[in-house]
Amino acid sequence: MSARTHLAVLAALGAVFAAPARADLYYLVVGGLGGEAKYQEQFDKDTAAVAAVARRTAGNDHVVVLQGESATRAALVKAFDSLRTRTKPADSLAVVLIGHGSFDGDTYKFNLPGPDIDGGELKKLLGGVPARTQLVVNATSASGAVLDSWVADGRTVITATRSGFERNATRFAEVFAAALTDGAADINKNGVITAQEAFDYASRAVADSYKDKGALATEHPQLKGGGAARFMVARLGAAPSAPANPEVAALTTERERLDGEIEALKERREQMAPDAYLDQLQKLLVQLAEVQGKIDAAQGKPQ
Amino acid sequence: MNLRRLAYALVLAGCGTGAHAFTIEYSLDRPAPLVACDKQLYRGARADAMACYRKLIVDSTDNRIKADAARASGDARGANGFFQVAIKDYPQDARVRTRWGELFLATHQNSEAAKLFQEALEQDPKYAPAMLGLAKVAASGFEEKTREYAKKVIDEAPDQAVGAHLLLARAALEDGAIDAGDKEIDKALELVKKHDFSPLEAYALKASVDLLRGTTDSPWTKRALALNAGYGEAYATPAYFYVITRRYREAIDLLNKAVEVEPDLYSAHTELGVNLLRENRIDEAQQHLAIAYRGDPFSAPVVNTLRLIDSFSNFVVLRHEPDTKPGSVPNKGSLLRLHKKEAPVIEPYVLDLVNRTIATYTKRYGFELKEPVVVELYPQHDDFAVRTSGLPGIGLLGVTFGYLVAMDSPARHADSDFHWGTTLWHEMAHVFTLEATRHLVPRWFSEGVSVYEEWTTGPLHGRHIPPPVLKAIKDGKFLPVAELDRGFIRPTYEQQVIVSYMQAGLTCEYVASRFGQAGLKAMLDQFGAGKDTAQAVEAALKITPAQFDKDFKAYVEQQLGTVIANYESWQHALAETSEAVRAKDWRLVAAKSAEAIELNPDFVDQGSPYIAKARAHKELKETALMTSTLLEYRKRGGYDPDALLSLATSLTEANRTDEATGVLKDVLMVAPLRTEVHSQLGDRLLAAGDAADAVVEYKALLALAPKDMADAHYRLAKAYLAAGDKTGSREHLLYALEIAPHYREAQQLLLEVVR
Repeated sequence: MSARTHLAVLAALGAVFAAPARADLYYLVVGGLGGEAKYQEQFDKDTAAVAAVARRTAGNDHVVVLQGESATRAALVKAFDSLRTRTKPADSLAVVLIGHGSFDGDTYKFNLPGPDIDGGELKKLLGGVPARTQLVVNATSASGAVLDSWVADGRTVITATRSGFERNATRFAEVFAAALTDGAADINKNGVITAQEAFDYASRAVADSYKDKGALATEHPQLKGGGAARFMVARLGAAPSAPANPEVAALTTERERLDGEIEALKERREQMAPDAYLDQLQKLLVQLAEVQGKIDAAQGKPQ
Repeated sequence: MNLRRLAYALVLAGCGTGAHAFTIEYSLDRPAPLVACDKQLYRGARADAMACYRKLIVDSTDNRIKADAARASGDARGANGFFQVAIKDYPQDARVRTRWGELFLATHQNSEAAKLFQEALEQDPKYAPAMLGLAKVAASGFEEKTREYAKKVIDEAPDQAVGAHLLLARAALEDGAIDAGDKEIDKALELVKKHDFSPLEAYALKASVDLLRGTTDSPWTKRALALNAGYGEAYATPAYFYVITRRYREAIDLLNKAVEVEPDLYSAHTELGVNLLRENRIDEAQQHLAIAYRGDPFSAPVVNTLRLIDSFSNFVVLRHEPDTKPGSVPNKGSLLRLHKKEAPVIEPYVLDLVNRTIATYTKRYGFELKEPVVVELYPQHDDFAVRTSGLPGIGLLGVTFGYLVAMDSPARHADSDFHWGTTLWHEMAHVFTLEATRHLVPRWFSEGVSVYEEWTTGPLHGRHIPPPVLKAIKDGKFLPVAELDRGFIRPTYEQQVIVSYMQAGLTCEYVASRFGQAGLKAMLDQFGAGKDTAQAVEAALKITPAQFDKDFKAYVEQQLGTVIANYESWQHALAETSEAVRAKDWRLVAAKSAEAIELNPDFVDQGSPYIAKARAHKELKETALMTSTLLEYRKRGGYDPDALLSLATSLTEANRTDEATGVLKDVLMVAPLRTEVHSQLGDRLLAAGDAADAVVEYKALLALAPKDMADAHYRLAKAYLAAGDKTGSREHLLYALEIAPHYREAQQLLLEVVR
């Protein structure tokens, strides 16, 4: 998918502004077993960072966090049971797995205190949740082993590694957590980080990190599934409330209409003369800027 | 046949059939039937000679003769087949292995040739042609062993020493020892006469002697052509000496004559191709290389260079017109060949540096360039290496062929600290020293001026002397000035080339310090007048070379004596610093690195203790000490990009923004492909009101495709607006908002621009 098409899909669907208002987002964040103190410390830190963003974005009551001794297989199954009863088909679910994974050439396992849980079981648990739009971020070592088997209609899967044979401890969780709070990840500057933006940011950061250290990369993040560009994983600011002021509501509708027109124009770009394209783009962008200015003025924001 | 021998056979069997070299044979044991054919070849009766060889291939019952006849007729594959049989027929005959080795030598497989010569010597330790074969292998790599092997032949088999004398002559002429070379040729000629060998090769070398002495129309060339009008080496051999003394245009003229009289002299076509390329005459070069490839598909340089020319489609050629502003330093313009991916980022910096070097060197050496300079930057080191020598794997960073400079690009060393700015500064000095002397300048002086200019006027000031060179000085390994070229051309120990670079740089520094810039200019003039080093020293500096060496030694002692005396202590302090870094004992790191700095304050290259000290202060939260350490590091020529970026940040935090800007500009000379340098520098320049330069930085940032393209377009739009270019500003605002329609700052600026 070219960058341009990707952006077109992103905004044409209006997901970044509209989706959260129509459906609820649920988060399940699991920090697995570190084995060694240095890993446990890192996993706890990464889990806490993702959990903080999740709470800010989805709300405290929509977030389940399992970590440390409490992150057992039984607790994980219980958390999925709860999601099965709480979520509706229109909702979205983000599952983030942090820690060590293993792969014996046949079975992937997520390492937890007590018995581990394998890839097949996790797939079943995910399939049992009614929320049709799902994102699974498996940041563990060997996570690439489940990439193909977990991806499904409505479910996008991100893994830290290319296959089950990249077995070294990964850096992906740390940089993914960073992506959720760094404005630099917000490529289209709309105040929202999508799964695609977070993945792009994190994969680049992983590659840079190995390059900077002069080390051979032992993890190659992967993304599969069609919903990453529409799936909001983090909001950089506070969540917008539905406009009470009818004038602002009308302006918001107008802004969404202009967004759609801009995307439609971008789709036609290749068929247009460059100057004509830029002239029309300017016209729409000026209108959008003016509408945004009016919204800001009505909301008392500085312009 | 052992496995290794089988491997030999396979290599040649895979080759074509066209490798034909006109080799003059001097072996006393060469079979009479072959000698009879040879004589026809030597006098130019090629068709008769070929018929003669072919008859031997058919009629002879001796596979050794068939093999040599096949080789002489140009059938390398056939010759190889006959040698495989001959070695079974005559397993104890050292001659078979030697002749087979010669075939490998002719087909550029030197290591295999050397093995065969060694095996022949194991069979007959006194077999002179095998020893001579080893000498030829060594000569192809400019190895000092050439002399050793050749002298052994002369000592042990003086009557069979024609080839050995000619090799010694070549080696002497390559070193510039013209009289010694001439004497060796005369000794060879005596033996040639005695044994009724062909004198063609000796005549061609005699013509080379004349050429090196300044006589371009040599009677020896006429004598050779009188014996054989189709003997192209009569021109190609002297041309070789033009090439190694970097007089490429003169070499091209002679090589054209060589292929005119001997159209299938493929080695001359190869040389023509390579040297035409050095003159940026690419189409002609390609034509000659294609001919060479048809005749000699074994030649790696030919194949590599043809591939390189094909890859030129990935480069852009950017022409910059001469600067004709009144009062400006004369400048004939330049032509930059840059990789398509790099050009949008580095072009302005390369151009700026080229123009600065031209202005600097024109003034300092009183010479105005007569042509535009061609500067090529290669992101693939092997492409640069092929451009330089036809072969990958050389250890150079840049090379100058007169008005053409080729070098590695910053992308080649994106992961290391390659100061491309200094390399270009160095190479551009060669353009002046070569062209001011019509390429007569000796290698040492040209390198010396380039190194000296790096240290004094270049973008990276300060002496950069690697530790092994300090050790070499301590061990008394510097050469007398009159022999300094030898250290470059025929090194006798590892590191001698780099030691010679540094000695040359220090020598020029010494001349400038004692005799002023005028001293260097006077020496350059003497070289331009055809004087050798000893004559130039005496004429320009009014001092004997011996006195010069004595005074130079005292100068080095005065400049570096303390550092050299402290060498072991310094190494010890460096090792202790590294150990403390490993232990993360930052207080100890600060102390040990300070000790190392005190012992050798100029050492700012890889492993510099300044970096360790700065890190220690950072870890100890001693920001002011970290900044002062890095400032001192930079002042002495430190260029580690991470250290400089860290310095820029701390200077900015201390509101020393002008200094921070200067530091960031330094980073461009070593790491121009890092996005943060351009964004930070652009911001500083824009804030300081230098919108035009900020535009340059933001354009480079965009060309690097940073993560945040919308932001990069927005920055460029701001800079354009500040520079008064509303059209450019509007365009980039639209691109920014195309990516991020809700980008507030860009929206507001767009309203400002279009209203």
